[in-house]
Amino acid sequence: MASNMRGLTVFIADIRNCRVRELEEKRINKEMANIRAKFKDGNLNGYQKKKYVCKLLYMYILGWDIDFGHMEAVNLISSNKYSEKQIGYLGVTLLMHENHDLARLVVNSIRKDLGEFNEIYNCLALHSIANIGGREMADSLANDVHKLLLSQNSKSFVRKKAALTLLRLYRKHPDVIPAADWAERVITLLDDSDLGITLCATSLIMALAQDNLEEYKGCYAKAVNRLSRIIIDKEYSLDYVYYKVPIPWLQVKLLRLLQYYPASEDRDTRNDLHNILQTILNNSQDTQKNVQHNNAQNAVLFEAINLAIHLDTESQIVNQAAVLLGRFITAKETNVRYLGLETMAHLAACLDSLEPVKKHQDTILLSLRDKDISVRRRGLDLLYSMCDVTNAKVIVTELLRYLNIADYALREEMVLKIAILTERFATEYQWYVDIILQLISTAGDHVGEEVWYRVVQIVTNNEGLQEYASRTVLIHLKSPACHENLVKIGGYILGEFGHLISNVPGANPIEQFQAIHSKFGMCTLQTRALLLTTYFKFINLFPEIKGEILTVFNQYRHALDSELQQRASEYLSMATMPSEDLLQTVCEEMPPFPERESALLSRLHQKNSDTEDKRTWVPGSKEANKEREINLKTSFAQRNNSFEFKSKDESNGNGEADILSSLDKKWFGKLLYNNEGILYENDQLQIGLKSEYHSRLGRLALYFGNKTKENFISFTTVVENINDLIITTPQKPSTILAPASQTQQLFHIECQDVFYELPNIRISYISGKFHTICIKLPITLNKFMEPIQLNGPEFFARWKQIGGDQREKQIVFKSNVPINIQGIRKMISGFRYEVLEGVDTNPHNVVGASVLYTSEGGMIGCLLRLEPNVDTQMYRLTIRTTNNTVTNEFCKLLEQRLMNDLI
Amino acid sequence: MCNFLEYKDEKVVYRRYASLFFVTGISSTDNELITLEIIHRFVEILDRYFGNVCELDLIFNFQKAYFVLDELIIAGEMQESSKKSVLRVVSQQDALEDGENGEKGWQEK
Repeated sequence: MASNMRGLTVFIADIRNCRVRELEEKRINKEMANIRAKFKDGNLNGYQKKKYVCKLLYMYILGWDIDFGHMEAVNLISSNKYSEKQIGYLGVTLLMHENHDLARLVVNSIRKDLGEFNEIYNCLALHSIANIGGREMADSLANDVHKLLLSQNSKSFVRKKAALTLLRLYRKHPDVIPAADWAERVITLLDDSDLGITLCATSLIMALAQDNLEEYKGCYAKAVNRLSRIIIDKEYSLDYVYYKVPIPWLQVKLLRLLQYYPASEDRDTRNDLHNILQTILNNSQDTQKNVQHNNAQNAVLFEAINLAIHLDTESQIVNQAAVLLGRFITAKETNVRYLGLETMAHLAACLDSLEPVKKHQDTILLSLRDKDISVRRRGLDLLYSMCDVTNAKVIVTELLRYLNIADYALREEMVLKIAILTERFATEYQWYVDIILQLISTAGDHVGEEVWYRVVQIVTNNEGLQEYASRTVLIHLKSPACHENLVKIGGYILGEFGHLISNVPGANPIEQFQAIHSKFGMCTLQTRALLLTTYFKFINLFPEIKGEILTVFNQYRHALDSELQQRASEYLSMATMPSEDLLQTVCEEMPPFPERESALLSRLHQKNSDTEDKRTWVPGSKEANKEREINLKTSFAQRNNSFEFKSKDESNGNGEADILSSLDKKWFGKLLYNNEGILYENDQLQIGLKSEYHSRLGRLALYFGNKTKENFISFTTVVENINDLIITTPQKPSTILAPASQTQQLFHIECQDVFYELPNIRISYISGKFHTICIKLPITLNKFMEPIQLNGPEFFARWKQIGGDQREKQIVFKSNVPINIQGIRKMISGFRYEVLEGVDTNPHNVVGASVLYTSEGGMIGCLLRLEPNVDTQMYRLTIRTTNNTVTNEFCKLLEQRLMNDLI
Repeated sequence: MCNFLEYKDEKVVYRRYASLFFVTGISSTDNELITLEIIHRFVEILDRYFGNVCELDLIFNFQKAYFVLDELIIAGEMQESSKKSVLRVVSQQDALEDGENGEKGWQEK
């Protein structure tokens, strides 16, 4: 450890010796005066400045206000000595916040240190950006940081810091980071051989991907692959094993990243993921004595369960997980009980059938009485999530009972939740009224205004409720202790519906009035104003008690409060008008409230801020989560479309994006009627192709050759699937492609129905810089045809059977290349037509027959006749198929090739 | 006792080592257990760096504790979980500082 500053040590010892606060203050003031004088004097050498800044920092940590010394810290940053620079940076980091006036002054020094050859200096600069990270720094330094992250020359410890520094800048100022443009390049970091870099990159990608799902979708397969390499293949160095668990931090992050995306459609990815999750679950079976080991293992396990729930709540893995969770919520360790309940709430919020959770209902109810408040909270959340019509009564009753002894911090949330559950699952009016009134009378001050507004809305809108509600509320009003919120509800309900119970013994008009008026005196002004309105309505409902009420109005005509005074005067004059017309009109029964979203729910769901991690689920019923899921999917699909559009003119500063539509390339066209050949070639990379097709199924192999003398790193291929064509790959190519070597990738293809697009394959790798290539795969409908042999009469019978009209298309076109009669026969049979001999009397003409197979769209018969005219260089092509769009498709396809290909 | 506390919309994850409390604030969606282990790794590294670390080491060398923390956590995220890697970088810094002091140490008292 490096040497100490003696003056600092003495000072700290002094402070520690101060027995009382006054002494400490005295010592601090003395030191501050001393340092101020020294700074004013100037003329300090680097060591002295460093020492004084350190003393100031120590005082700062103790909680004293430090209002000077910032400039000295800034000066230290530009020192040539590392030890002084380091303290300068620490001073700036601790003493300045992002909007500090002087923060601007350090931007240049930071930039200089970012550019230094000495990596240790780079690190200091990165720390300060990550710790302060204001607007100014984000604007002027984000690019320098980005360079450090991606440069092959950067040391790994610098790149890690650069990744996280970018993360911090992105969270604070997302606009300075061109997240979408960086996507492909940043994603490749997931393949980095250094697990530390992968860890930091994953943190960064998690933030970027959440806001740019489509652009970052490539991270999905890479994350699965990395997890599989860690968990299944055990590919890691011992440094990264933490108490027998390999790099749990990275595992947790990758598992979380996958929860941001909808489940993958790709069968192989799904299988890999299944194996990973199953292995994690199996590993958790043996519990360890060691706390750290347990924690790390469980951290991964809980994240894996969350992912499993996200993928498919009905899966076998989720079933196993539910059993496991049942064990966790009775565990001895408080942390495990807490997480068990939390995860079970996630499960309950997503399940179709709540049975697996309901099994544990008694245990969960007991958790409300756990000795730890954090656990009690989770129990409450879970009960809220698992409530449905069948158990609502039990749960709500238990919650109500618990409300009396619940922590104050919890009560308001509990009241909201009870109110929501009561409303949502009530099957009898009586139960709703009883519970909600009981809730309001027990919870008292913890009841928000929303709750009683909602009760009034519901009673007004449900005729069947009104009489019972009036009767019950009157009983509450008559009890000696009645909370003001109940008086409000009582006032409103009796004013509207009091007449429904006026024949009930104990509820005649004067008794209703007296019950309310006995509480009048202890209410707030706002409630009194409301009650005056109730009385006014009473005059309309019960003319017989008009006298008593007018006395009250008369009295309040002189109230000090202007609102009460005004109401009393106005009501009085309306009530004493000669005609009752106005009174009756004004007091007409309230119309039902329009249906609206419950204010209770909106109160409960608060929104997350922009770049914070988004929740992958919300507590509550599965409907709430279904909606989220759908939103996620649609926003994903929408982005999908916009992306297609974008990729065509994509040429960003992110390495060299070599995107080409290779349709016009000679190789591609040939491959439409040949089964092997070269698909693509440039000076670095060659891609060869071999394929074979049997009716609706096909197999295709791509051979990637590295023509350079360097490794291709993070070699990645992604096939963009199209509708009705399923392409799967049993094994991804290795991520590193050595110089002058080849790797192959096999694809299984299935034609489900007629498709019209060509699938894309996107290849990216790093060789010096980052390259991406996007090419079309030569998989067209004709590949899924099987030639059939027909004789003349058979052919004509079918030709007739298909018929003309829409199903026939005939085109005449001129060839750009000389016509070769033998060549075109080969081409047509390459297109998988059987070339039929002796059907056409003209031997130059070609007649072909074939059947197209699809797994869901059935079979489609395809016939053709091609009449070349060698002299005029013209073709006439006639195609008939049993599907008119297929006819058009084949016409286009053959025309292109016949017109342009030299055979 | 639970090592997690819910505070407003965030969570507090803490761990106690003798008389020292290590406290972190995380968002409600973060993984609690793994945060607990970040704390433990920090403590382990401090222990190795100072050699049987105690409260006094951290008080008298508070700046060092900050430097170690900078090697472990940036932007609130775990930067490096390998003890060896973290200690290597920290000792590289110390070597640089020692070198400087060795050259000019006689000037300064």
